[in-house]
Amino acid sequence: MSQPDLTRIERDTLATMSSTSRLYWAGLAVSVALVALGGWAWSLALRRGLGVFGLNEPVMWGALITTFVFFIGVSHSGTLVSAILYFTRSPLRAAIGRSAEAMTVITILTAGLYPIIHIGRSWLFFFVLPYPNQRQLWPNFRSPLTWDVFAISSYVTVSALFLYMGMLPDLALLARRVTGWRRPLYRVLSLGFSGTDAEWTLFEKAYPIFAGVVIPLAVSVHSVVSWDFAMSVMPGWHSAIFAPYFVAGAIFSGIAMAILLLSGLRRGYALERHITPAHFDLLAKLLLAMSLVMTFVYLTEFFMAFFRGSPAEVEVFTWRATGTYAWVFWLVMFCNGVAPLACFWSRVRRSLPALIVISVLVSVGMWFERFLFIVTTLARAYDPANWGNYRPTWPELLICLGGFGWFFMLFLLFVKIFPSMSVAETMQHDHALTLPAPAGGETEASHA
Amino acid sequence: MPDDLVAVFAEPDAAASALRALREAGVPGARVVSPAPYPAVHLTGQPGAWRFLGTIALVGGLTGLGTATALQVITSRNLDMIVGGKPPVSWPAFGVVMFELTMLFAGIFNFSALALLSALARRRVPAQARARVETERIVVVVPAAEAGGPRQALIRTTLQGAVEVTP
Repeated sequence: MSQPDLTRIERDTLATMSSTSRLYWAGLAVSVALVALGGWAWSLALRRGLGVFGLNEPVMWGALITTFVFFIGVSHSGTLVSAILYFTRSPLRAAIGRSAEAMTVITILTAGLYPIIHIGRSWLFFFVLPYPNQRQLWPNFRSPLTWDVFAISSYVTVSALFLYMGMLPDLALLARRVTGWRRPLYRVLSLGFSGTDAEWTLFEKAYPIFAGVVIPLAVSVHSVVSWDFAMSVMPGWHSAIFAPYFVAGAIFSGIAMAILLLSGLRRGYALERHITPAHFDLLAKLLLAMSLVMTFVYLTEFFMAFFRGSPAEVEVFTWRATGTYAWVFWLVMFCNGVAPLACFWSRVRRSLPALIVISVLVSVGMWFERFLFIVTTLARAYDPANWGNYRPTWPELLICLGGFGWFFMLFLLFVKIFPSMSVAETMQHDHALTLPAPAGGETEASHA
Repeated sequence: MPDDLVAVFAEPDAAASALRALREAGVPGARVVSPAPYPAVHLTGQPGAWRFLGTIALVGGLTGLGTATALQVITSRNLDMIVGGKPPVSWPAFGVVMFELTMLFAGIFNFSALALLSALARRRVPAQARARVETERIVVVVPAAEAGGPRQALIRTTLQGAVEVTP
């Protein structure tokens, strides 16, 4: 078979860096505007105090913590999916792995902002860090909130290194290709990688070790976030199912976000040859599978609450479905449990507009799902004398929107400075497609 | 001192064929410089100190485990408060941070080992040869010690598929 056109592969994979469309500038402008709005709303909270938020007794966690949990969830699946695709030798990894890994790092950086904003006096966030001080404000290592600090900071470090490690060959290539200020940048960042056989051997041996570290860490980080809730004795939270439930929800929302980002890259940079309907078909199947898992978890939660018969649990779950936030509950059921069922049809799985609509619905559904379980439990806990409601104020909503602007802004800047697809892996993959099939076996092309 | 023989190939398969031919001709010391992990880079006997990688990651993991244990035990003993009915040194609660730092240090050690061992390994190929690699250029380097002598003509024949051979 003919050899792949290496120059074309390089041009395609570096397309996001070499050309800037109007769509890109429009997206960046909207993102920056959202960040500015969110920043201004945060400045209100810094100047006037937490009173600008709708938080109250008993609902002291609201839209900000909801957004934190949502973004941690989105972050979960990027690195996890990339590492799993690596171990399964999936040809899909070359096209979607880099974007998914970048999504992970950027969403954790976004998520990390929210607890800092939520505490009000944000400049004192370092109180939770484990350092000795004269007032003996030691962190309490028996608290899940301290576990969170370690889990998230470990995950962001390891995910960033995983992304960086995978980019080393591409950075070396870029250091030879570009001119101007980028050249010394890529030269330094590539750590001198030059592509000798010994370096490739080391790379191919080190990478799976790192991927093996990343997978359990990815599972742990969202489990630890779930324990922020589940380790308490609050009705609706104190459940052993929370860790797997959060992990499943994280993968679910992460896949939806990956579909949105990849469809944008595909459309904006004419990457149809590399990001194909087969990629979206696989992602849609994963989305469908996770939707079924989520529906099962929702039903299990209700079943356990009513079977156990604890009055407080029964009250919380009944109120979720019929009380003040019933519209949120049914919206979540529709977005997360019903809409993704359309992916049973292959025509939907291969239709990009349909998948974009479903992914937006899932993202909305997952944000509201986090909102639902946080707020309803706090609002309807054990003591009826202490029941209350919560309504987010517009500064809170602007800060949440600002987080989405922050996320998209960082992603757009990332694809402008770094390749959004792995050049080396794409070259290797396209070359493998040209190799003859082994006797009695399938070719990689047939898998693809 | 004679120079290494540097052959530049435009296609990955041509480089792989040349390496196989060199091996059959009794020239085992050839090296490859490639922009991607094509099959050619696997035909040179997996050079480099990669066998240490797993051990280094394990040492990193154990370092993280020890660090997390020491941090939590020393800190909690220093404060010495019972919170939530749990004793100051609560092993089940400490397990989370121990796990996180074990993985964190294993990852950092693994990455550092890759960077360091790669820097040492690449020195086995001359810088001039490494500079020749491009997206569509794969370089095969035959060490001067093996490229000279009576086998020189044979070696040059095996490199016929190259677009450029120097010197």
